[in-house]
Amino acid sequence: MKIPQVRTLNTEGGMLPVGSAAPDLFIETGCGSDTVSLSGLKGQVVVLAFSRPGWDPARDELKSAYNRALEQIDGLDIRILHIDSDQQSIQLADRANGAAAEVNVALMSGIDSFGSIAETYGVYGRNALFVVDERGRIAWSFAAPSGAVPRPDDLVSALRALAPGAKLEAAYSTRLTRRQFVAAALATAFALALPAVYTPAYGQGEGTFTSIPPPIATAAEIKVTLNINRSDYPLSIDPRVTLLDALRENIGLTGSKKGCDHGQCGACTVHVDGRRINSCLTLAAMCRGKKIVTIEGLADGEKLHPLQSAFIEHDGFQCGYCTPGQIMSAAALLTEPIGNADSDVREAMSGNICRCGAYPNIVDAIQDVRGNRKTEEAVSS
Amino acid sequence: MHPFTYKFATEPHLAIKAINSEPNAVFLAGGTTLIDLMKLHVENPDTVNDINDLPLSKITEIPYGGIRIGALVKNSDCAHSQIIRERYPVLSEAILSGASPQLRNMATTGGNLLQKTRCYYYRDSSQPCNKRQPGSGCPAIDGVNRIHAVLGTSKHCIAVNPSDMAVALTALDAEVVTISSKGERRIPIDAFYLLPGDHPERENVLSPGELIVGVDLAPLPFAKRSHYLKVRDRASYAFALASAAVALDIENGVIKDSRIVMGGVGTRPWRAYEAERILKGKPVGRDLFKSAAEAGLTGAKQYKDNGFKVELAKRTVVRALTTISEMPA
Repeated sequence: MKIPQVRTLNTEGGMLPVGSAAPDLFIETGCGSDTVSLSGLKGQVVVLAFSRPGWDPARDELKSAYNRALEQIDGLDIRILHIDSDQQSIQLADRANGAAAEVNVALMSGIDSFGSIAETYGVYGRNALFVVDERGRIAWSFAAPSGAVPRPDDLVSALRALAPGAKLEAAYSTRLTRRQFVAAALATAFALALPAVYTPAYGQGEGTFTSIPPPIATAAEIKVTLNINRSDYPLSIDPRVTLLDALRENIGLTGSKKGCDHGQCGACTVHVDGRRINSCLTLAAMCRGKKIVTIEGLADGEKLHPLQSAFIEHDGFQCGYCTPGQIMSAAALLTEPIGNADSDVREAMSGNICRCGAYPNIVDAIQDVRGNRKTEEAVSS
Repeated sequence: MHPFTYKFATEPHLAIKAINSEPNAVFLAGGTTLIDLMKLHVENPDTVNDINDLPLSKITEIPYGGIRIGALVKNSDCAHSQIIRERYPVLSEAILSGASPQLRNMATTGGNLLQKTRCYYYRDSSQPCNKRQPGSGCPAIDGVNRIHAVLGTSKHCIAVNPSDMAVALTALDAEVVTISSKGERRIPIDAFYLLPGDHPERENVLSPGELIVGVDLAPLPFAKRSHYLKVRDRASYAFALASAAVALDIENGVIKDSRIVMGGVGTRPWRAYEAERILKGKPVGRDLFKSAAEAGLTGAKQYKDNGFKVELAKRTVVRALTTISEMPA
């Protein structure tokens, strides 16, 4: 499917609440010659689907899975006949009103989560759904964090509240199109949510393969006490929490930085039992009973660690983002079997990347603390 | 990251019991591969069994002069160990040529043996990959494949084994020691790794629930004269484009025995038996090394971007052999 180009016609900021007017937008469909705008669809229920570029919720092979999911909702006798992301519509059969009662709901899908219209709707970087009623007001919305899709459980409970017979609490209350609206919201919501639980057969369709990371879900929390900078911190955390995230998000020690989050940049370097490690690739739970030292614990009260002073002295940083990791790495290096030459220091510091290129001064600072003068070879290189 | 239940064990048999009691469970050691791949949704275990408390963190002497490296010995401890540096320098050099100091402080001996390929397509869960999702296809074969293998490839997978350590261990005739509910077994490292063939998802002969407890090295006196040479895009902190773990047993200028194993070019550590055979009984010489290297690359299959690896690997082998042939015995 070709990804429609999206341009914003309205640039109000902020996360848009239910009941507020939906800012207008238009998308170019198919070959780009047809333009559909939200204002042009007034009088109809419209589903807006913000998703990551390249993700097409309207794949036909998902249809039976959508319908199996729709069957889970009590009191809703709706089947999806077709979702067409080129024609930008969802075709539904409302079986409660007879087999012939086909309903078309307008769909504006493929709206880039990382585009300006997502910013206008306050859902930048997120997969999000908005249902806009026939008066152009937002009737229902759902947004999942970046890189995630809605949890099917959340969707089911959210949408059950909107199902026929349920007590209506949302601002939305137009009875005539309510059923259409609920069905359309469900259909699109599941279209976005289901890839998480439904894997299509390979080699089908046009040979394209798309997957979405599994849904955000929670695991049972575990109790872990971390000893950080000589203090104990009892925590109750999801087992997925890395040491880096525990430090920054649970304990508030934000000196250790998240650069790549994959053990490649070294910005997250801390000491565990006296050794430097990447805290981003260590689960907090793995650090039970270990002594953790972060950049916040390196100084002796007001007295800086010699490497901290040397980094200042030698101007060993520019933007400073990698610096806590550089200093923690350098501090550990002092006790490791490393040769005296500058080249030995560079090799030993290779796990700490500096975008600003402060390397020569970092090497100077470390060699100063180690008592090694810079060699001629290093000066000229 | 997919949600999981976290458990830890303090005795090997309890770890085995734990992993057999849950479907889709994994062992967690250093975490440098597993947690990385869990963040990428390439590995999605339901249960994670932390084995870091198991008593497998020592390097010990074993009968008949060999040593055992416990499965949880950190890569940095192994590389800096006096006994390893003296008896098996190729292993120390190989480990120190890989990753960063931080990662080597985390990564373990057992984990390193199981580290996963750096194939871009394997690591990207939006892409098909026969290793990650059997039957989905291999985009690397006709795609971007500069870092991929030229030896041991199949029509289903051309991913390169990324380990430096395993290349050195192959040169040292290491044995992988495991335990499972069926007891202990010892697997010669050259029989440990599988070629991708029709099943690239199977990378080694371990059974589900089998735990590596250590690696045994027999005494190999001539391994004192051994060396690891790694060629890569950067001077440090990069995976091998080609590497060679070599050892030579030279007496009066004549080669009695040798080990030649290549990394960065094969779907598994690639021992060049034919190259070793060519060296046997011959006087040391550059031309001899060249013909050995030539034999080592027999059967190499080049893909769009990685043809350069064939010549690079040959030169790497020749240079590594030359270096150790010039070392004092």
